[in-house]
Amino acid sequence: MLIHKNYHLTIYAPKYCTNIVKYALLSAAIFLASGCASLGVEPWERDLLAKDEMALTSSPIDSALDDHIYFSKEASSGGKSFGGGGCGCN
Amino acid sequence: MQLKKKKPPVNLKAALTIAASALLGTIPKTVVAAENTTKSKKALKDSSWDFESALLFYSESDRVSAAEAILNGQKTFENDEVLNLKLTVDVLTGASANGAAAQPNVQTFTRPSGKGSYQTQVNETPLDDTFKDTRVQFNAQWTQPLAENYTGSAGVHISKEYDYLSLGINGNLAYDFNQKNSTFSVGLSYFQDTFEPEGGIPLAFASMPAAFGSTIDNSDKKADFNASRRTDSDDKSTADIMFGFTQVINRRMIMQFNYSYSKVDGYLNDPFKVLSLVDSTGIAQDYVYENRPDSRLKQSLYAQTKYHFEQNIIDVSYRYMWDDWELDSHTIDSKLRVPLSRQSYIEPHFRFYKQSAAQFYQPFLVELNTLPEFASADYRIGEMRAYTLGIKYGTTLSDGNNLSFRLEYYRQDPTDAGHKALGALSEVDLYESVNAIIAQVTYSF
Amino acid sequence: MQSERNVELTVTDDGHCIHFQAMASPCEVLIANSDGKLALTLGELVAKEVWRIEDKYSRYKPTSVCSVINESRGKAIAIDQETYLLLNFADTCYQLSEGVFDITSGVLRQVWQFDGSDNIPSVDAVKKVIANMGWHKVSFDEQQIVMPENMEIDFGGIGKEYAVDRAMIIANEFTDLPVLVNLGGDLAANKPRKDNVPWQVGIEHPGFIERKPMVVSLLQGALATSGDAKRFLLKDHVRYSHILNAKTGWPIEMAPRSITVVAPQCIQAGILATLALMQGEQAESFLTEQEIKFWAIR
Repeated sequence: MLIHKNYHLTIYAPKYCTNIVKYALLSAAIFLASGCASLGVEPWERDLLAKDEMALTSSPIDSALDDHIYFSKEASSGGKSFGGGGCGCN
Repeated sequence: MQLKKKKPPVNLKAALTIAASALLGTIPKTVVAAENTTKSKKALKDSSWDFESALLFYSESDRVSAAEAILNGQKTFENDEVLNLKLTVDVLTGASANGAAAQPNVQTFTRPSGKGSYQTQVNETPLDDTFKDTRVQFNAQWTQPLAENYTGSAGVHISKEYDYLSLGINGNLAYDFNQKNSTFSVGLSYFQDTFEPEGGIPLAFASMPAAFGSTIDNSDKKADFNASRRTDSDDKSTADIMFGFTQVINRRMIMQFNYSYSKVDGYLNDPFKVLSLVDSTGIAQDYVYENRPDSRLKQSLYAQTKYHFEQNIIDVSYRYMWDDWELDSHTIDSKLRVPLSRQSYIEPHFRFYKQSAAQFYQPFLVELNTLPEFASADYRIGEMRAYTLGIKYGTTLSDGNNLSFRLEYYRQDPTDAGHKALGALSEVDLYESVNAIIAQVTYSF
Repeated sequence: MQSERNVELTVTDDGHCIHFQAMASPCEVLIANSDGKLALTLGELVAKEVWRIEDKYSRYKPTSVCSVINESRGKAIAIDQETYLLLNFADTCYQLSEGVFDITSGVLRQVWQFDGSDNIPSVDAVKKVIANMGWHKVSFDEQQIVMPENMEIDFGGIGKEYAVDRAMIIANEFTDLPVLVNLGGDLAANKPRKDNVPWQVGIEHPGFIERKPMVVSLLQGALATSGDAKRFLLKDHVRYSHILNAKTGWPIEMAPRSITVVAPQCIQAGILATLALMQGEQAESFLTEQEIKFWAIR
């Protein structure tokens, strides 16, 4: 649609832009629709991922203590989990 | 028992297990065999409690020290249900910046209780050394599969300290798809906190009253003190929602993305924090209690990647947070786990944090100007950068238990967001750095 | 022999299989992964270890530790740690079985040839050989072993099982992937083939031509089989099994033809299977009493 509106302007730039946008959106859509099906591993290839140290939170205790420290010393918290909080710390 | 029959040696299996271990130098493994059936792997798991304990010391130079102990117990039941119980105790002592600016003269402040005062020396950042607090926290979390590919989790949180009570609940639902290579999750949590600070809740922008002693002629001062207070306690609520997506990229790599939305309502001030009210020469004429908005809406985006090299594992995460106080922050956290042997590893850690100031942050107030609607001189909502540099060493002991030590250096560098320092204030350090050491030992059994 | 020492890689339904020959048996390493190069590297590591053990402990190799001890003529022979540990294990088995399991019983081969014929040795011949047996006559410590002249030891009853366990240790050091090592029917697996999916193992019973191999599902652990349907003597309708009682020098009567035992480690499974066979008629009840999982063929 935009192409018609921009008909009076230089032809290449808008066309080029809209194509870029279109391709970007299209590829993003394909990526989302495929649910990253091209990524991932077969169940028997989980040798490394199955290690405790490859868990996203490999030491929950460290994370809990860090969340608590940074919650009370900085103005941000959470992001990874409902981190920190629950205290009137100074 | 017939005499003819050869009696087998007592518990041959156990004797041979020991003999085999002596020969092979191995810890015996569970063995499961079935002729035609496939038993689930739960038979391979023992369902006893796993405990993890940790002791952490946090110490700022000249300021706050804290010790925190955690005991975490986890039990896995028959059908992959997991119960996690956590007990946390922490003790806090020491001094904390009260928000007032350093001055070329000695300053006197009233303690939060009103029953006494403390002094700050020339050109030093005023620190209130009243803090002594013990906190006990308990968490319980129950996680279980709900249906094929669905996992649910629910938990409660209770935390109590002398002047603060926090109650919380949370729930989480995760859906695995694409051969468990992808996971969507959504989580909710709600906290209800009640704050009953020593000396009550001060009125916004009320002047810090003089301290009253215990003598009889102090009734006026006591009345003044009470007049500066609004109520004994106040509360706040926090509601969070988080959407997460986890994706296995390949055999070596996994990624996670989260979006969080958090709404905090209620009493968000720090009742112990004041602002210096200075004249045109930068000399403090009064100290007034801070005032923050009664709501805050926070959002954050979080991305994490873990990659397993031949031996080492790198863990990098980035968080962007922004809120309606016009405060935003960037956090980069990275760890590299390097195995030293089959039993031990070291893990260097680097974290960088940068935040902008909240819109109403200011290091001091100026008498001539009109009072703003909101103001706070708490450096923790001011502009700053912070760095953490740490190292962790972990080892598996001969009995199979894990022991680890962590040592970290944490530094905060508050920065000037362009507030012009008047007169005497240009001679003092309004943005003093904070240095802290964090030491932790963890033992799981 | 050296020329036959090579490994061969094939792709299976859900992984790889590496074949090689060792200890006069077909051997294989199964690995549930998709990376052929990794599988081959693992297979080579395992094969090397098995060949190393074969070279070190086979009585058929004139340069082996076993041969050196057997030709010592009563002189002290220095031994290394591994040999000491193996001898120590054999010693434990001798004690536990009250002398029924004895690694010096190999000399009985001089009078017993299990070729399906009726060559039953004379009582005197057996007695003469028995004089050259008895583990208690051997003294050893961590540094050396002293064995009287005319005696022999052999690691036949534990060598292959030991190789399986050593191979498994090597595999586990190399990878966390599911691996099964099978050395001619003595085998071990470190973990299920996939989540909750056991290894399907066909156990060939040597000599049972008419029998289909028994298929056993194994999640993890080890299997070892003792017994051989082909090796027996037949005289006056009495079947003499090749399982000899080290104390009497005569075959065990009424023993099952073969027993397969499951245990955490192959070396345990092997000893249990052998000890069970030596119980003769009571083989099955012996294992049942000990709460050991097994399959017997009579």
